[in-house]
Order: sequence, then structure tokens, then C-alpha cells
Amino acid sequence: MPDLYIFKAQVGMFDPVALQKHNVCIHYQQNVHYRKVDFLEGIPPFQCIDITAGAGLAAASPTGRVNIVNLEMADSEFGLWRWYPIDDAQVRLYHPSGISKFQLRNLQVPIDMNILFRDPNLVSTEIAVWQNNRPAVEAINGHAFALGAVRLIALGYRFHTVNLESGKESDPELVKAIKAGKEPCTDVWCSGRGIGD
Amino acid sequence: MLLANKEGIIVTGPVVNLAAAGAGASVVVFTIPVLVGQLIGLKSVKIRKVILHNNAAGNTTVLIGNGAVGVGIPVLLPALDSLNGLTDSYTAEADFPEVESFANIVAWPAALVGAGTIDIMLEVAVIG
Repeated sequence: MPDLYIFKAQVGMFDPVALQKHNVCIHYQQNVHYRKVDFLEGIPPFQCIDITAGAGLAAASPTGRVNIVNLEMADSEFGLWRWYPIDDAQVRLYHPSGISKFQLRNLQVPIDMNILFRDPNLVSTEIAVWQNNRPAVEAINGHAFALGAVRLIALGYRFHTVNLESGKESDPELVKAIKAGKEPCTDVWCSGRGIGD
Repeated sequence: MLLANKEGIIVTGPVVNLAAAGAGASVVVFTIPVLVGQLIGLKSVKIRKVILHNNAAGNTTVLIGNGAVGVGIPVLLPALDSLNGLTDSYTAEADFPEVESFANIVAWPAALVGAGTIDIMLEVAVIG
């Protein structure tokens, strides 16, 4: 069994959380889906959003909450993403739009450009996106000058999966074995969780 | 695109015109980034580069501090020469010590000739 798991820290790009024919358990809020990966590919780093939508961000101002539609996945697919900003704003992540990510009791931890040298392999930014359940972001410009844009770079993997619980690929015995801990399965959290939820 | 390195995030301030001499005429040349809505708010800056352009202000010096506007002191750096009609560039480590400030950076010319002024621009590394 390959040594694959979420939040894996290593030098360079990160590993996928599953390979072909590996079982995964997708968690989206309180929903759980047992699936099997039947295709995966790497996604090179790309600019997934300018949070200001080309308008720039005025001095000492926050943006509204903006959905990152470019991180949405097709049906039956999930994406595994790490990301960082390339403009000097603090970025708050929500996943989905109504649930804070990186939420502590008294603080929602933001990401800024410092992440590139404080966490060079971006392990702490790792998120997964199930189908079209995309995350959202807000940016805060603390400078006394306007920013021309607040752009985010994302990189990761795309996984296509088949449903083990229903349909032609269903395998109730395998699901039962996974639930009993008798078959390997990687849990993939594709959303945040509300405090106390 | 701005840069991040182990010194912090490198940003440039605006070009600021210094039109009056003396610490009493000091003006802000770089504002520490602070915003109530910013989740982790305490920032400081290290000055990396100072560029001066002398607009017929005569040979003079420019002082950089982090006191209040109109107060100027305390001074952060030795006086930097500004030569009449020329552009001067100063770099941390090479031309002046690397200093950190938690307050806005202000600057003022020691003296000006006639209607001459000095333009100043800073490059800093934001820490925090």
C-alpha cells in the first residue's frame, strides 16, 4: 500500500492522496460517499482567481466573499489543492462559502505571501473540492496603497471516481469491509466544518 | 507581483515629494500596513532601499525617522546625501545598516535651496 495520505509534508510537489483503484471516502459537510479512484492526473500550478475580478483592491480595504469557480470539479470528481497568493493581501478561505476554514476558537487564520517561506510545500493550505462544491475567499489589503489584484495560484490533482454504493460499479461488500476497517481507504475532507458542528 | 523572501514581503512605497526642510516638515514616506479587519495585524518593516531625486534643491542631506509627522525623530538612518539635480540610491547592508521599524517611516530634507524639492521612494520588506 503506497504511503499516501492528506497533509503529507515533503520536499517539492505533494503526493496524490490515492492512486488508481484506491478506495476513498469523500466527506462533504455531514455527507459521506464511498468511491474508488479510476483516473487521476496532476494539475500544474495555475492562477485560479483574481479575487478583485480585475478591479484591484483599494488601500486598507477588504473584498467581499468570492467563489473560486475555477476550482470546481466535474461530476464524480474531486480535486486536491494547495495554494498561495502572489499579491500582498491576507486571504481568508471558506469551504463552502458559509463555513470558515482554518478556524480557531478566536481567530480565522489567514494566508498571505509569507506562506511561501514559512510553509514552502504549502501543506497547511491543502484542501479538497468535491464536484462543484467550490471554496470561496476574501482578501484584505492592509497597505496604505491600492493593490492592482489579489491573485491566487493553485496546484494539485484531479481524481475521477466511481460510486461504490450504487450504480454499475457498486460493491456493497467492499463498502462494508471499508466501514469495518478491513479494507484500506483514504478519507478526504472536501469541506470545512462549523465550530461545534 | 510582489516578492516574498526570508526578509519578509518586499513592497515599494509611493514617490513622495519633500517640499519643506527640517524635522518639523517631516512627512510619511511608507505606512505600516495595519487594518482593523486584518486578522493578524502587527507588522513591521525593514528598509531595503532608498531612492532620492533632487529637484534643484541644492546639495543637501535627507533624514529618515519613524517619529510622528512633523516631529520626525527618532532618526533611523545616518543622513543620506542628496546631490543637486541628481538621483541617489542607497541600499541596506551596503550603504546603511538594516533597521526595523514598527511605526510609519517619515523623511525630511535637512535644507532646501529656493523652490527646490526632493522626491523620495522606499523599498521595504514587510515583516509579520
